[in-house]
Amino acid sequence: MDAASTQSRRLTHLGTRGLDVIRYIGGMALLLQETARAAAGVLASRPHRASAAAHLARQVVRLGIRSVGIVALVQFFVGVILALQMAPPLEPFGYVSMVANIIGVAVFRELGPLISAIVLCGFAGASIAAELGAMVVGEEVEALEAHAISPVRFLILPRLAGTVIAMICLCVVADLAGCLGGYLSSLLVIGPAAHLGYWARIAEQLTVGDFLTGLIKAGVFGLILGLLACFEGLRVRGGAEGVGRATTMTVVYTIISLVLVDCLFTVLFFVCKL
Amino acid sequence: MIDKADSLLDAPVAPAAAAEAPPPAIAVVDLVSVLDGRPVLDGVSFDVPRGKTLVIMGPSGCGKTTLLRHLIGSMRPTRGRVELLGHNLGELAERDLEAVRRRFGILFQSGALFNSMTVAENVALPLREHTRLDAATIDVIVKMKLELVNLRAAANRMPAEISGGMKKRAGLARAIALDPEVLFYDEPSAGLDPVTSAEIDQLIIDLTDKLGVTSVVVTHEMDSAFRVADTMVMLDEGKVLRTGARQEFQLLRDGPPTGDRASDLIRQFLTGSSHGPITDRRLSGGYADDILMAAGRAGRPLWTGWR
Amino acid sequence: MVEAKLNSPVRQVRQEPQALVVTLAGDVDLHRTPELQQELVRVVERRPRRIVLDLTAVQYMDSSGVASLVKLLSSTRRQNIELKLCGMAPRVKSIFEITRLDTVFDICPALKDALA
Repeated sequence: MDAASTQSRRLTHLGTRGLDVIRYIGGMALLLQETARAAAGVLASRPHRASAAAHLARQVVRLGIRSVGIVALVQFFVGVILALQMAPPLEPFGYVSMVANIIGVAVFRELGPLISAIVLCGFAGASIAAELGAMVVGEEVEALEAHAISPVRFLILPRLAGTVIAMICLCVVADLAGCLGGYLSSLLVIGPAAHLGYWARIAEQLTVGDFLTGLIKAGVFGLILGLLACFEGLRVRGGAEGVGRATTMTVVYTIISLVLVDCLFTVLFFVCKL
Repeated sequence: MIDKADSLLDAPVAPAAAAEAPPPAIAVVDLVSVLDGRPVLDGVSFDVPRGKTLVIMGPSGCGKTTLLRHLIGSMRPTRGRVELLGHNLGELAERDLEAVRRRFGILFQSGALFNSMTVAENVALPLREHTRLDAATIDVIVKMKLELVNLRAAANRMPAEISGGMKKRAGLARAIALDPEVLFYDEPSAGLDPVTSAEIDQLIIDLTDKLGVTSVVVTHEMDSAFRVADTMVMLDEGKVLRTGARQEFQLLRDGPPTGDRASDLIRQFLTGSSHGPITDRRLSGGYADDILMAAGRAGRPLWTGWR
Repeated sequence: MVEAKLNSPVRQVRQEPQALVVTLAGDVDLHRTPELQQELVRVVERRPRRIVLDLTAVQYMDSSGVASLVKLLSSTRRQNIELKLCGMAPRVKSIFEITRLDTVFDICPALKDALA
């Protein structure tokens, strides 16, 4: 009897958590839908288009440009690490020169988008969540609604579009920085077998598909991190504490979902041989 | 004036009287609002004639803020109706609601300025979003509005750099940017020094008298309430305790206790006394039992495992 | 004498010996501001010595209407044209008072005072 009731309580608990997760994802989907509708509305009206472009530009600068340095730096070191880790196992087979090919694929298809997204999540995601959270607490969002200005159009749309655009651009920078890291470690540490013809081998290995799948991933990652940050920010209740919680949860949830979605993508691309 | 006060005394609803008089700017009819299964507002009715000022007051937690949210259409009624400028807010589609929202303004408790913009940009925003006026005309209007609230000198300051009173005045300038027909004020004098508070009250009066704006003021500063009100509504526990002209509430405040519970409750609120029905209600029984039980309870360990 | 378009608040523009008299009528609000501003620019282009705006028939004026008059004042001042407003209804006058523009404009009670 007692054991059964404990078990049913655990099941209820599990069910509630499951429902919470579904409700959370549903909420985000609704936000995304509303943003899409706002985007359509903005594109349809000329005066809104002009002001939206200005807002978007400001967000891209704020979110993207500021993170370029960090993303490039991180990705550069990832390239260095990758090259140095790959060289020893390849050496016995006489394939040290393949370091370039491996780095090319790994960085363009995988690490470029993922690492940039994680860096941008810490940079932009947390800052968006904190900013929107503070606006909710300060009645600013309510004030927008009261002035018949849609917060989704005015706040969410430029931030979401901003993170997507920033991610795609950052991903290109990250790709180059990663390969450069690999090249420099080949040049300075590994030796001529690796660095002679490094760029040619990367160019030979990579297809347009590799590059594009990376960019598609980057765009989707940007959408996910922007959406999560906006959603968490708008959900803030109860003052400064709520804002702090929202920033933390944004980073945690974003990293979890990035890796999950990345895995799904990889499986999909693998199956479809993209 | 006396006639109007009398008809308001006949509230909750006087449909016959309403048919003769010009339609009110705001009419609330039997408004019920249930939040998390608890009725926050329970059958609230009143109306505000055009060009008049209504003060809504009541002890904390009486539902004032919820009522204000209903009046501006950011919450939809569980039952009943809120009519603003002839539109039933509960039935409007989002698009039409936006059209109505352009016709009223709100001064939020904190001013609710957009922190990323200067004071002038804050005031200009509704004009930029909702009109096709050119930049020069918008600039002129912004200057006019800022002059109206005596804030022209702070036009290019950021909200973080100005005082609370200035933020509120800037918020008011933004609220009146589109020449609204109705203005809502959420605690306009909260946290202000007496002089600034009196200045804001004077602005409320000027806007009503000179521009014919209809105002709804939620406040519990009694001095301010009596300065600005034409009529007053006293809310308690989600119900309207009384609606009446300012004079009637003045009589109640200055008169002796009557023994009628509702009147005494209002009287306690108006005079700010620490004795009366409001405080009696908070003193719940069973104190002795409660404290003795706490003393007799066996010590519980602080750490009870992961659950 | 120029009769105005339907939606414009400018009812009539006529040349008196002392001044160019512009008569406005109806509600001077957001919807009619663009037309009003265009017409006022055209009035200034005629370079009279003095412009008198007759507001007797104006029932309501909103901020954008007042702002249009401010723009008119700024262009007349630049070109040394005298600008007078007259015949304001109390409701219109109070808009000027509340924004302290009654100190900026030259406001006369009636048309004959403005033409004096």
